Amino acid sequence: MIPFSDIERDFAWAVLDGEASVPGPLVGKSGRATSGKTVTRSFAVYQNNVYASLIDALASRFPVTARLVGEEFFQAMARIYIGCEPPRSAVLLRYGTSFPDFVVQFSPAGSVPYLADVARLEWAWHAAYHSADATQLTLAELTEAGPDAEDITISLHPSLGVVRAPFPVVTIWQISGREGKDEPTQLPDGGEDALVVRPKLDVEVRRLPEGGAVFVLALKGGATLQEAASSAMQEAPAFDLKANLAGLITSGAIVSVR
Amino acid sequence: MDQATAQVTANGVIAQNLTGNGPMPSRAGVGLKPEHYRDILDASPDIGWFEIHAENYMGDGGPPHAYLTAVRERYPLSLHGVGLSIGGAGPLDKNHLARLKALVDRYQPALFSEHLAWSSHDTVYLNDLLPLPYMEETLATVCAHIDEVQEALQCQMLLENPSTYVAFAETSMSEVEFLREVVRRTGCGLLLDVSNVFVQATNHGFSASDYLDSFPAEHVGEIHLGGHAEDSDDDGEALLIDDHGRGVADSVWALYSRALSRTGPKPTLIEWDNDVPSWPVLFAEAKRADAVIADRRSNRVRVSA
Amino acid sequence: MTAHTKKISGLAIGCSFAAALGMAASSQSTTAADGVEKCYGVAKAGENDCAAGKGTSCAGTSKIDYQGNAWKLVPKGTCETMELPDTRKGSLEAVDRDLPPA
Ligand SMILES: [Fe+2]
Repeated sequence: MIPFSDIERDFAWAVLDGEASVPGPLVGKSGRATSGKTVTRSFAVYQNNVYASLIDALASRFPVTARLVGEEFFQAMARIYIGCEPPRSAVLLRYGTSFPDFVVQFSPAGSVPYLADVARLEWAWHAAYHSADATQLTLAELTEAGPDAEDITISLHPSLGVVRAPFPVVTIWQISGREGKDEPTQLPDGGEDALVVRPKLDVEVRRLPEGGAVFVLALKGGATLQEAASSAMQEAPAFDLKANLAGLITSGAIVSVR
Repeated sequence: MDQATAQVTANGVIAQNLTGNGPMPSRAGVGLKPEHYRDILDASPDIGWFEIHAENYMGDGGPPHAYLTAVRERYPLSLHGVGLSIGGAGPLDKNHLARLKALVDRYQPALFSEHLAWSSHDTVYLNDLLPLPYMEETLATVCAHIDEVQEALQCQMLLENPSTYVAFAETSMSEVEFLREVVRRTGCGLLLDVSNVFVQATNHGFSASDYLDSFPAEHVGEIHLGGHAEDSDDDGEALLIDDHGRGVADSVWALYSRALSRTGPKPTLIEWDNDVPSWPVLFAEAKRADAVIADRRSNRVRVSA
Repeated sequence: MTAHTKKISGLAIGCSFAAALGMAASSQSTTAADGVEKCYGVAKAGENDCAAGKGTSCAGTSKIDYQGNAWKLVPKGTCETMELPDTRKGSLEAVDRDLPPA
């Protein structure tokens, strides 16, 4: 009598490793033995279910990444990722957080150097979509709360994320996410930083101005407005505090001011 | 909740109230799909209830919860878990149980169900409903897991019979014997998936009618119907795959009638998860199930009159 | 801390905040309007299912087709029509900034 824990272990390994033989104690129709060197079609249903469903999950989570490289390439890449880093939780909406890092070191994708940045932006979008809800401050509330304080601390929306990229990631994401014919495009020079936030129920993606990423990340880390502005000016002397603040306000990213 | 209050009201119009969260009508429901959120909220169609896959609502916030809240305000809800791995050898994931409990508290479903299957091994989640051999060892494990679930959620759960594509040499009892014993030991109810019976009967070469006729009908709290795909096995014989990717086959509708004649009217779910159709198509499928239930009711009335 | 810290006094911050509120107020008046159809946001599919895939031979099991040839596969998507500039500065000089709205 084989303990079930052994059967389960062999079954799980054989499902994940598509080349493993069918685990020993399986029988097919009418009790005919199906163990052997080749994976039978019946057992292959399970392998297919696991991989196909996870590939689909990744494709729907990283749709622009998939469009950039095409379906065939994306599926092959996703399959290798799944084999290396299968889900560790039954909550699939959390699966794929390490996919952008995987893309970075996946050498066949090297000809598309901005691919991982796009994947990072898409993960930020996905995380914002499912993040906790919070009520943003209205202009009236901000006006009342803000202007007099010397060391204001701004709390940002829990959905807020910043993606910094050496490539024009927001432009690429916008162009590739569009429906319709794919027009040849000369990408702009330089990098782009993205602000991703879901103030209510729609996820918004915006380009951050110079120093904006440092500023927002500092605020997110709990810095006071003054500290965050200083950090931003160190990186970008032209940092415009007024414009950046107005941007945060209009994007609904501020939930409290102290 | 006291399991005595979860007794099945055989042939009752209203199914038992498993979680104490209001009645689940003995009529057709459908799986709640994001594709249909707007159709449902705009038109409030006349449908008995909705079922959700619990794991899809385990995010912290955002549109999924906003939509579900709005739908729940108008319809009864069934919570259907797909990732608890009740049939697994290892212990249940306590965090996952806590997440389920939070959903039960928040959305007050009338039913909670899970599968006789496993999906996690060690720390890896395989995202499929994988089969187990039916033997003393697995029976004890499954019962211990169900006890733990019912304790944690404070309600009776329904256990669903699976679709399987392989069987195990270690199996020493039939699936129906196994389920019957689980019910006896844990006091759980059963979710009878008629399509899964049909798929398994074809794949493993047994009679679907015999399976249904021996099923402990008095413990059925919900029925599932879904579409399947046809493939072939290594010997070129039919291999049916429970893909929920089309309408319910006529042979399964016939089996459904047979099942209802034993269980009486029960909440019946149309499962259509892949290639999800437009709302009117799904709604029509639910109406077909409602018609079978109505037919069953009038038959019963005629017989007893 | 650098000299910048000193430049941004408490008073300056306060002024910036008030000015930012003014900017935000003027831009919001032109970009309001969440339509009724948007009040619940985008509905994205959940991926936990209890259904099986499409048989034995689609993307999932065709390991030979995909993994075996993976290293020969090349990206063939919309990336083909995107050209990066020859001389990349690699700095954070972004163009076409849309925060704040113009
Ligand atoms: Fe089912």
